[in-house]
Amino acid sequence: MSTIIEFKNVNKEYKSGDHILKAMDDVNFTIDEGEFVVILGPSGAGKSTLLNLLGGLDSVTSGQIIVNGNHVESFNDNQLTEYRASNVGFIFQFYNLIPNLTAIENIELMKDIVDVNIDGLSVLDSVGLKSHANQFPAQLSGGEQQRVSIARAVAKQPTMLLCDEPTGALDSKTGVLILNLLQSMSNDRNTTVIIVTHNAILAEAADKVIRVKNGQVESIVINENPKKVEDLDW
Amino acid sequence: MLFKKMLRDISRHKAQFISIFLMAFLGVFVFAGVGGESVGLEVNSDNFYEETNLADGWIYSGYINDLFMYQVDCLGATTQMERQLVVDSVADFDNDPDVTLHFVENNTISKFYLLEGEKLDINDKDGVWLDKSFADAKGLKVGDKIKFEFENYTIEKQIRGLGYSPEYVYHASSSSIIPDFNKIGFAYLSYKAFPEDTVPYNVLNVKFDGTPENYNDLLDYHMGGYYSSFVERSEHTSVSQFADEMDQHSMMGDIFPVVFILIAMLIILTTMRRIITHQRTQIGILKASGFKNHSIILHYVSYGFWLVLVGAILGLILGPITLPPLFYPSMSATYKLPVWEPAWSMEFVYVAALMVIVSLAVSYYSVKGISDEKPADTIRPKVPKISTSGFIERLSIWKRLSFNIRWNYRDAQRNKFRALMTIVGVIGCSALLVCAFGMYDGMNDLKDWEYTQINHYDSKLVIEEDTAQSVIDDIAEDVNGDEIMESAIEIESDGTKKSGSLLVMNDTNLITPTDYDRNHVEIEDDEVSISEKMAKMLDVGVGDTVKWHVMGSDKWVKTKIDKIHADPISQGFIMSADKLEDLDLNYTPTSIVTAEHVTQNYDGVKAANSMKDMTASWDEMTEAMWLLIYILIFFACLLAVVVLYNLGLLSFTEIEREIATLKVLGFKTRALRKLLLTQNLWFTAIGFIFGLPVGYFILAIMWESSGDSFYILPSISITNFLLTLVITFALSILVNLMFSRKIKKLDMVESLKSGE
Repeated sequence: MSTIIEFKNVNKEYKSGDHILKAMDDVNFTIDEGEFVVILGPSGAGKSTLLNLLGGLDSVTSGQIIVNGNHVESFNDNQLTEYRASNVGFIFQFYNLIPNLTAIENIELMKDIVDVNIDGLSVLDSVGLKSHANQFPAQLSGGEQQRVSIARAVAKQPTMLLCDEPTGALDSKTGVLILNLLQSMSNDRNTTVIIVTHNAILAEAADKVIRVKNGQVESIVINENPKKVEDLDW
Repeated sequence: MLFKKMLRDISRHKAQFISIFLMAFLGVFVFAGVGGESVGLEVNSDNFYEETNLADGWIYSGYINDLFMYQVDCLGATTQMERQLVVDSVADFDNDPDVTLHFVENNTISKFYLLEGEKLDINDKDGVWLDKSFADAKGLKVGDKIKFEFENYTIEKQIRGLGYSPEYVYHASSSSIIPDFNKIGFAYLSYKAFPEDTVPYNVLNVKFDGTPENYNDLLDYHMGGYYSSFVERSEHTSVSQFADEMDQHSMMGDIFPVVFILIAMLIILTTMRRIITHQRTQIGILKASGFKNHSIILHYVSYGFWLVLVGAILGLILGPITLPPLFYPSMSATYKLPVWEPAWSMEFVYVAALMVIVSLAVSYYSVKGISDEKPADTIRPKVPKISTSGFIERLSIWKRLSFNIRWNYRDAQRNKFRALMTIVGVIGCSALLVCAFGMYDGMNDLKDWEYTQINHYDSKLVIEEDTAQSVIDDIAEDVNGDEIMESAIEIESDGTKKSGSLLVMNDTNLITPTDYDRNHVEIEDDEVSISEKMAKMLDVGVGDTVKWHVMGSDKWVKTKIDKIHADPISQGFIMSADKLEDLDLNYTPTSIVTAEHVTQNYDGVKAANSMKDMTASWDEMTEAMWLLIYILIFFACLLAVVVLYNLGLLSFTEIEREIATLKVLGFKTRALRKLLLTQNLWFTAIGFIFGLPVGYFILAIMWESSGDSFYILPSISITNFLLTLVITFALSILVNLMFSRKIKKLDMVESLKSGE
């Protein structure tokens, strides 16, 4: 498997007045294509910063982020937008569906930004929500909304799915369903899936576990035999 | 602590609070500013009349002797009187200026208002107290000598003082509506300055109790036939002209600012309500942590209160200080008042107070609604409204619409209140613009109609009174002109009396009456035509009979109306000389109109006015109106920007999260900007469409109240209509541009963080 993501000596500092906060301190790692990666760490360790940098929502202070051979850190705003549109599928803790649009419209919305032929109904079918196609987000449960959000993210066939605490707002049963779905995206479609969480149990299901603490990479562990999500002991 | 929270909230939502402040300020500013101008005129003139003890009426008679005065005194209602001799004289200058001399017996009524020099001395035989404007135009100073010729006398007097008179606030010759102080003036002298021992007094200034109508009746009953005419104060040329001017100002000063302040209130209300709804969770938190309901309410209510209060007070103070001085200079060139100061009226305070109270009430009910809920519910964001699919969504075309259109349609559907407010805001602004431009067009049209389409002569020679008909005929022949007669009349129908004007002319192509659509109206020799506005005011039509008389004469005649014509500035009758004589009235030409440009002086001609002079006068007269129109256009635009920006900002805050999500998903800034622009344009278009009739309606009310002599119907030219359209949309796009910066700067990470 080939490396598609590489962080090289990445630093990120936030200035607030005179105070400088090091959110990312010389971070290095690589991720291979199709890997199911779990990033673990306590609150404030820098997990979200890492995800934001990778997703092109924020820019590095120094260092390099290489995705598919491209230097993301050197992108300007327009290039970043382009990069997000074609490479990144975001899945948020609070789903962030467009409340004005129905489930299927939320998915077909992606046609406006990427040049991919999207059959909204079949994508919805793949997350098991074909029957809810014409419902608005407010009419769906949290788990359903998250599934729509996953469908929306995969519909544009991105290089990677970036999930920020995707089960944070869900009960554990629904959470397993979502994580299962994400794992199968990785296994069946060979999509790289990166999940940020503070739930250490998920580590056993990951191909690769990156632990961060105080803005630094504490350890990188590769699981030769990851478990299935539904087999984990929740 | 809550106070600290308030300050921080305010600084965090700067723009919204600034717009609340601005709206309160602008609304009251314009209301009190424009109002302060017209109230100022009223107060200044009232004070001047009061201070100088302006007469309540003038009784004109050939000779006013002691017996005459005794009889007037016996009427009972007379409280004060004083006789004087008023004569027209020619002062000794190259241009033979007309100076009206007042030989006064003691000058306690309609007192001379001294600006320079000594006080009027009733025993001073050799002094004269001269019109300050005239003196300035002639370069005369106190101490200079001046010669007057009148009847058979020539007198030379020394100028003792310069000043104004309440009877000459407005003073123009009968030949021009604009005063030319180089040609016209007045002077006060002691009765002892009269060259004969016996002064042939001809005017009795009176002050009386009761209404002028009663006094007039009383006078008529007891002394009918012993005097030639009685003029009450409101009919006096100077007083009525200035009153007309004030009417014009207050007509615009009333309606426009009211519309303005209504929009301002609307915006304040919307914004307050929104800000409070946004604070919903926080209200829940405050409640959950044990704050009492009333302290929470007090906290939120005080938000708007302080801003609206400060804005309103500032507007109340600055409006009357700033706006009136813009108008007064052009007015003081025409009207002579010693003081030109803006005035405040309690009305302004009431309106400002109303604004504060209404904003308090809205804040109160918004917070109350939220704080009455259980904190457990409040602490959570309000359950989003579930959109339902309307019939449009079920159409097959819906699926083919772009995301942009679908999103905007649904957004408007879900936020009907916001959409409605934006549309109402745009309606207000475009209505104001339509109205202001409509006034602009109306004023231009009026000028064009009167001076191009009806009157085609080049010169108008004003005939001196008592000029022999043969002399007039000679002059008319010499200049190839046509004689006309113009006089003031009063028309009555069914108890309604209206004063108007009479135009008597024989067939001439120099004056061609038209109807409202500018088609020529042919009035036959035996026909009487009434102007459309007069007909409306009296509620009469063709075939009806009305009673009328020439002002200054008691002879009422009955006339059947044969035709209706329309005229922008003079309302009354048009008929031929034959018709007039048929009615047993004298035909005495007052002017000669001619296509030739006359510069030559004729005996018997008081003045030769060219069309150019008259249009120039007209322009000068209407200067204040124009200024007002420009100010209105400016403020309408300003209002539009604030309204659109404010409402845009409100909706932007509401959809910020969605915009951030779309941005994260990879939508380009351009696409997002288009998203917002689309909605803006829709609302602008809808608002504009509804704003047109509303503006038209306001315009109609304005013209309606523009005084009895004006006749203009609301209309707007294509050019200005397009200009209104362009301005409205340009402002809408401009506001959108302000938001595109916000989209660019939008912090995606920050906006997505919370679950709200």
